[in-house]
Amino acid sequence: MSRKENKSLKEDTYAPSESDQKAEDAEPADTDGVEAEPAPMTRKRPESKPSEPSVAQEALMQKVQGPSSTEESQTRWGYWGNWGKSLLSTASATVATVGHGISNVIEKTETSLGIPSPSELSSEAKDVTEECQISANDSKRDAENPLPSITGAFGMFSTISAAVQNTGKTVISGSLDALEFIGKKTMDVIAEGDPGFKKTKGLMNRNSTLSQILREAKEKEEQRTATEVSMATEKRAHYGLLFDEFQGLAHLEALEMLSRESESKVKSVIGTLSGAELDALKAELEQLKEAFSLAEFYDDEEEEKEEYEDFTREIRGLFSQLYVSTKPDKLIQARNSACELTKNHTDQTAKEERQKEEDLQVGLGDAELEEKISVEDVHTSAIRSLAELTACSIEVFHKTAALVLHGQEQEVLAVDRAKALSQMTIVLCRELSSLSKNFATRLTAAGVEEKADVLNPLITGVFLEASNSASYIQDAFQLLLPVLQISHIQAQTELTQQ
Amino acid sequence: MAYAYLFKYIIIGDTGVGKSCLLLQFTDKRFQPVHDLTIGVEFGARMITIEGKQIKLQIWDTAGQESFRSITRSYYRGAAGALLVYDITRRDTFNHLTTWLEDARQHSNSNMVIMLIGNKSDLESRREVKKEEGEAFAQEHGLIFMETSAKTASNVEEAFINTAKEIYQKIQEGVFDINNEANGIKIGPQHAATNATLAGNQGGQQAGGGCC
Repeated sequence: MSRKENKSLKEDTYAPSESDQKAEDAEPADTDGVEAEPAPMTRKRPESKPSEPSVAQEALMQKVQGPSSTEESQTRWGYWGNWGKSLLSTASATVATVGHGISNVIEKTETSLGIPSPSELSSEAKDVTEECQISANDSKRDAENPLPSITGAFGMFSTISAAVQNTGKTVISGSLDALEFIGKKTMDVIAEGDPGFKKTKGLMNRNSTLSQILREAKEKEEQRTATEVSMATEKRAHYGLLFDEFQGLAHLEALEMLSRESESKVKSVIGTLSGAELDALKAELEQLKEAFSLAEFYDDEEEEKEEYEDFTREIRGLFSQLYVSTKPDKLIQARNSACELTKNHTDQTAKEERQKEEDLQVGLGDAELEEKISVEDVHTSAIRSLAELTACSIEVFHKTAALVLHGQEQEVLAVDRAKALSQMTIVLCRELSSLSKNFATRLTAAGVEEKADVLNPLITGVFLEASNSASYIQDAFQLLLPVLQISHIQAQTELTQQ
Repeated sequence: MAYAYLFKYIIIGDTGVGKSCLLLQFTDKRFQPVHDLTIGVEFGARMITIEGKQIKLQIWDTAGQESFRSITRSYYRGAAGALLVYDITRRDTFNHLTTWLEDARQHSNSNMVIMLIGNKSDLESRREVKKEEGEAFAQEHGLIFMETSAKTASNVEEAFINTAKEIYQKIQEGVFDINNEANGIKIGPQHAATNATLAGNQGGQQAGGGCC
């Protein structure tokens, strides 16, 4: 890594709030309560409490109590209230957009597998319940344990949740797994249509940070694997454990630390301003925030066939716009080896097919060959690749945050950095989506002879983790907002001081 | 995979004293003479065993450069152990120890176990700081002390493990509240149930030291 150090730059340029920060430090970590809660078996996106005012709002609350006229403060409060709200909704809105591409694929895949399409399910909550009932009945029937049709929706739900808890552990029928995934997507769609619900999602919640949720999921998994050593393949292919192995969790935690600190600094700067100065800063920060909204995301499924070089070039290009002294080599490498993996599997499968035919001709059994490349292997490398790519993406975001705060030459505007980063997020999510599609194709190819109830959960698992990966990357991206905000404030301060 | 506890460590000290090399030697058992400068923080993890208990060490290897100091401070929080490293062939790295120590004490929890490490003990001919000086500094400030060589792997293992033993000791004594994650200790999935009850008892014994 080539790095030019700029020792000349003062390191404490952004420490006007050292004391304020110390006060923060003194606060006991509010994680205990969360820790005590039973962690969900499936990872959830962090949910924020709608009642909790954002930091910016709090800061404004203090401002409002100042001597300014009530009307003025009313409008100001409204403005900032909106600010906080839309900030919260950004993440969920984009997730839905990104998820869209994936759910389209799911739709295709699942219809070909004879599973109800997500669009059928997502239209209304009531419909979902009905569909659930049908699907669950189907799966129950598969399991040769017919469910009495009198059972109401309530019983149905508990059946489903029990199944969800066992996902991956037991091989349940594929439709139940698909249902879990579809249900998740449905929630996103519902959230998309309900601005009120949007507020319950997002990452600004301090009580349960993203890394905590991931860590809990990982711990839960470790706990489970500790008791069930026999499920070797399960352990191998567990996303959370792999993500941690690639240090994704550590980078995320570190990024959260930087983000939180920056946030409190921004807050304290806002606290010292008033009048025109405050309005100007507000407008500037708002502009930055807009760059974080990922509005320009488009789902270009058709273009995806364009290969390797494209991603590499795109990421390198965007990275150069950040003007930070690090290179995304590791990320690009992780992505390329993931691509290789999807290819290898095709080759191997094709080879296997050919060989199988030959073997049949000479009268050899093919049972032996089938073991050579199992669907489990493809699944494992798919999950592994997704975890690695996500971990590397978060590492890139973390390093970027550190270098932005390091305060290299501010030859680039924070807003331009924000734009490059948001474009990068889009590229990464698109990549995850296309990667998961390719792996699904390989899985389908490798598992032609597998029963649907073996293959389907694996395919669904790949799509589920790809969707989760995209969420983590987008949430990590959002953590960069306070970092760029404080970097912008510092740049402004330096400018006025000169 | 399963562990009884997870300890978070930080490695701090001037640039070029061999922090990243110590970590690499500990996690990968190899030495790399030329190392990239660390940006912000890098990570490493390894499992060790203390008194038959599996303990996972999650190590945060911070950037030593002065210009990164304000950023690396953000990472101190929630560490159970710190390796404070100087280079025995560079007197100035020893002279800066007081600043590092103040920083560490200020930005992390007071129970954090600090291990003072005089690295590059293989370069005896270029030694500028006597072993006794290191020992004296450690004693004065209540630190554990060791001279190591990331190159020859001398004492590297011991440095990390002895720090863990000290932390483990403190847990047994009830000094650390293991239910408070700010202390840099987490109960692992192994024997989580038994540890939970143990933690409960400890919490009860501790006068006013409870969390929640």
